[in-house]
Amino acid sequence: MSLHALFMALAHSSLGHAMQASQWDFAIVEMVHLLALAVLGGSVLVIDLRLLGVILKGESARDIGRDLGRLLLGSLTIMVVSGIALLSEEAGKCYYSAAFRCKMALLAAAILFYFTLHRRALHNTGSGTPNIWARLAAVVSLLLWLGVGIAGRAIGLL
Amino acid sequence: MPLLQHLCQLLYDSNFGTMIRESNNAFPIIESIHVLSITLLIGTIAVLDLRMLGLVLRPIPVTRVARGVLPLTWSGFTVSFVTGFLLFWSEAAKNYSNPAFRAKLILLALAGLNPLIFHTTIYRRVYQWEELHVSPWRARAAAIASLTLWSGVIIAGRAIAYF
Repeated sequence: MSLHALFMALAHSSLGHAMQASQWDFAIVEMVHLLALAVLGGSVLVIDLRLLGVILKGESARDIGRDLGRLLLGSLTIMVVSGIALLSEEAGKCYYSAAFRCKMALLAAAILFYFTLHRRALHNTGSGTPNIWARLAAVVSLLLWLGVGIAGRAIGLL
Repeated sequence: MPLLQHLCQLLYDSNFGTMIRESNNAFPIIESIHVLSITLLIGTIAVLDLRMLGLVLRPIPVTRVARGVLPLTWSGFTVSFVTGFLLFWSEAAKNYSNPAFRAKLILLALAGLNPLIFHTTIYRRVYQWEELHVSPWRARAAAIASLTLWSGVIIAGRAIAYF
């Protein structure tokens, strides 16, 4: 099945029909998406500012990363599930949207980075002061997640 | 016309308000910054609330989490307030009668009152309980109130566009 067919199937699923039929269904899912955004953004900020050596310098970056990482992944899961519901409302339009494609590419990059180099930077920093590579990882992570947010906001505007 | 409504109409009709409203890009750009700043304001205060509930960062004393997180929360508050006021400036006359906008202002006032009560009561003795993995019930109540009220602010804020 091609990606386009998958998007069309989502638009014509019962989920898609429900989201298209009621303005308030869409609004409620959007609110859930935003609530999870607050938590996701908060955990990313605290983890990355610790990795950058800006806040909570006396605490272990690895422990903060592990602990708030659960919060990050939990809220990310809610965002993905609510995001699929939002997508089903206008999947056909999103398929061709530059902002949507950009958001998905950035999201994939952010998740991949989180599980690989970012994780290693947290681990290597431990309770100490971050080296230049750890700081770089923190900045890249912040920029990737910010990019996901900006591209996401742009879907509704462009 | 009530005084408040009159003031809203004055803001709405002002040159600056009209400029934001009629510009192609100003409103959506300010709105995007406003939306994304909830991560800085509400996301960071949520980390402190969850710490007091004993759900995250349990080994770290509450005061240390607060010292790390609150400067972020305040900068988020500044960004949200400035961008929010600019959005209001351009839409004041419409916002005045918008039920979601009114609900948001009430929730904001309550969300602001909550830490005021918290800091003048149970937080004054924080050095007695800062290391507890789960904070005393009055601190947990403040944390739950904070999470609930700020969630309400997000929900009412999003609903403004639907009325």
